[in-house]
Amino acid sequence: MILEIALLCGLVVFSAAAIILRDLLKAAICLAAASLLLGIVYFRMNAPYIGVFEISVVAGMITVLFIVTIALTKTGGDVREAKAAEWIFPLVLVLFLAVDILVAKSLINKIPALESLPEQGTFGEVLWKMRTFDLVGQIGLIFAGVLGVLALFRKRSKDE
Amino acid sequence: MAFLFVALPLVVAGILPLIGKISKKVLPDVVANSVLIILLGLVFVEGRGLVGQAASIQQLSWLGEPVNIKLLLDGFSLFMLFAVSLVGLAISLFSIDYMDHYGSKANFYALFLVMIAGMNGLLLATDLFQVYLFLEVAAIASYALVAFGLGHDELEAAFKYLMLSAVASVFIMLAVTIIFGLTGSLGFEPVSQGLRALDAKFIVGLCSAFFIMGFGLKAALVPFHAWLPDAHPSAPAPISAVLSGLLIKVSGVYALTRVFITVFGLPPDLSTVLMYLGIISMVVAALLALGQTDIKRMLAYSSISQVGYIILGIGLGTPLGILGGLFHLFNHALAKSLLFLNSGSLQMSTGTRNLDEMGGLAKRMPVTAGTNLVGALSIAGVPPLNGFWSKLIIIIALIQAGHWAFALIAVLVSVLTLWYYLLIQRKAFFGKLNEKWNAVREAPFWMTVSTVLLALLCIVTGIFFAATVQSWVRPAADALVRGVQAALGSVGF
Amino acid sequence: MSNTWLVYMSFAALLLFIGLYCLLTMRNLIKLVIGVVIGAKGFGLALVATGLVKKNIILAQALAVTFVVVEVCVVALALALIINIYRKTGSLDVRRLTKLKG
Repeated sequence: MILEIALLCGLVVFSAAAIILRDLLKAAICLAAASLLLGIVYFRMNAPYIGVFEISVVAGMITVLFIVTIALTKTGGDVREAKAAEWIFPLVLVLFLAVDILVAKSLINKIPALESLPEQGTFGEVLWKMRTFDLVGQIGLIFAGVLGVLALFRKRSKDE
Repeated sequence: MAFLFVALPLVVAGILPLIGKISKKVLPDVVANSVLIILLGLVFVEGRGLVGQAASIQQLSWLGEPVNIKLLLDGFSLFMLFAVSLVGLAISLFSIDYMDHYGSKANFYALFLVMIAGMNGLLLATDLFQVYLFLEVAAIASYALVAFGLGHDELEAAFKYLMLSAVASVFIMLAVTIIFGLTGSLGFEPVSQGLRALDAKFIVGLCSAFFIMGFGLKAALVPFHAWLPDAHPSAPAPISAVLSGLLIKVSGVYALTRVFITVFGLPPDLSTVLMYLGIISMVVAALLALGQTDIKRMLAYSSISQVGYIILGIGLGTPLGILGGLFHLFNHALAKSLLFLNSGSLQMSTGTRNLDEMGGLAKRMPVTAGTNLVGALSIAGVPPLNGFWSKLIIIIALIQAGHWAFALIAVLVSVLTLWYYLLIQRKAFFGKLNEKWNAVREAPFWMTVSTVLLALLCIVTGIFFAATVQSWVRPAADALVRGVQAALGSVGF
Repeated sequence: MSNTWLVYMSFAALLLFIGLYCLLTMRNLIKLVIGVVIGAKGFGLALVATGLVKKNIILAQALAVTFVVVEVCVVALALALIINIYRKTGSLDVRRLTKLKG
């Protein structure tokens, strides 16, 4: 359990860093590191499939998308974040952490829960056989994403 | 068979870009529109098959092996499918002419079909996660469609819409996860049974709050409405029509209703909260609509107001209230799409959306003026058009349930609605013809066809409202009132 | 429910909070999208943790995988919008996007 908590703390630290850092490229790298840690956490939770997915897609593909965008939008002067927002952040974070822990402590043993269905076979079976409609949804998502990006980057013969 | 509702638009959407490369002019239009016509026909086929049996959960089979796709087809989802197909067809006809100057029409139609597929998938979903998934499909398609024109306003509106929508998604998914944690499953029926077995009032209340925040944002209820007045005016007219006429209702109202009534069973506290949200939306949005000069912004605020009516009716929880709310949903989908399409015609002919600059256009654009009048009167609730009947039913339901104050406010807002719609009519169409518009012509063929179609539907639904209510709306209301198991014993066909 | 679940959920809540804070206060458009990604991470963690405790981790993984696909499409579209906005206005500052008033 200790290892998991350490990994989760690392995850939170990198995520916070991704927000605070001024340099967007460093922020993107921190985000990738956070995803990597999350993937390892997933492995430790006995969830290898989502771990692989998280690392390859989020730490991989999304980071690449970010880096491409950052490269295409190098501004002359950086966007100055509000000074206040930046150094209030650690304070608010710690505050929230405290509230979080208190709420969690008070909720121990108070939440009723039902047992779930028994384990349903391998991941492949579950994804393909049980949640087939989700796969249709995923196809829809991918179409929407691809068509959307194509529409946004199309060549225009005359301007609006 | 019902799977075609999702599969057909999706598959055609995939092929459309290729078709677009082959023939830019005619083929994409024909293909896209025929898809919608087929869907409309499918609604009737499915409806006929459904008469006399309980809600059907359809199981597909592919090449002999049963494929595990379960689709929920009951009175309520069929009713919404009907609305989506009907309004979708009208909008798609309109786009034949309107989207000509935006370029890349095949791509537009493809995105539009993906959105329709997403909405249909949401309507047919059997469990909470699928509702969320297809909601996102339709939403992502809509982000791209809002920004389709690539102008500054459109991009800004699309980005804000995306951000707010992402927040809404977080809340919805949070609630779904908590429910998953509590009951261990996601399907509508197992969850509702599970929640009844548990006694977790606080957690269910918390989830309801999250759902209201999430779906309320999608439905543009006050105070979650901030994205709509920016997104709808900036988007191209047919997209504004789809967003206002369909998307906020399918992903907002339908999802909300499904979850709250079918799964949660609408406890009385929740009912009160919904009614208050509805009333506040109605009043605030109507007041905000008065001060607008941009015609599409005024229509956008009016949408927020009318969704308030719908939520008021449904939130009331009585059979008559639900009936009124659903009927108003249908009527508003027809009429609001009509009005937005007309605003598109106006924008295309005159190049402006500013009401103060228009004037006396009825002489040059008689068809548009006429259909606009029908749409405006319908939403304002003037007899014998359809809007009147649905508002009347809601008001009667309120009185029956003893909520006199609400009923009074509803009537007053109705009057307010009539006022600002007449304002639009007067400023844009009647009065003296502004010199600038002497050369303006009526809207192109397909645009007039679709608006006339919608106007005729408004009139017909109004005159024959008893038949419409009996055959379409009552089964939907019954399906809701009796929970997941619904008996579709209507006399409709 | 067990303590493990609460530990994971507190961290997930923390991540969601960071994501929301970012959306509310940051001015750089790209940072806003980073906020969305962080929120999505928190959410995936919550899903898988719930699955872990309910002994149905396979189902939770299937849901989480689908959710990651949603997240990727949303991010791709958001970034495409940002690139277009940058081309139009030359800046990534969200304060410049105030032409429309809600």
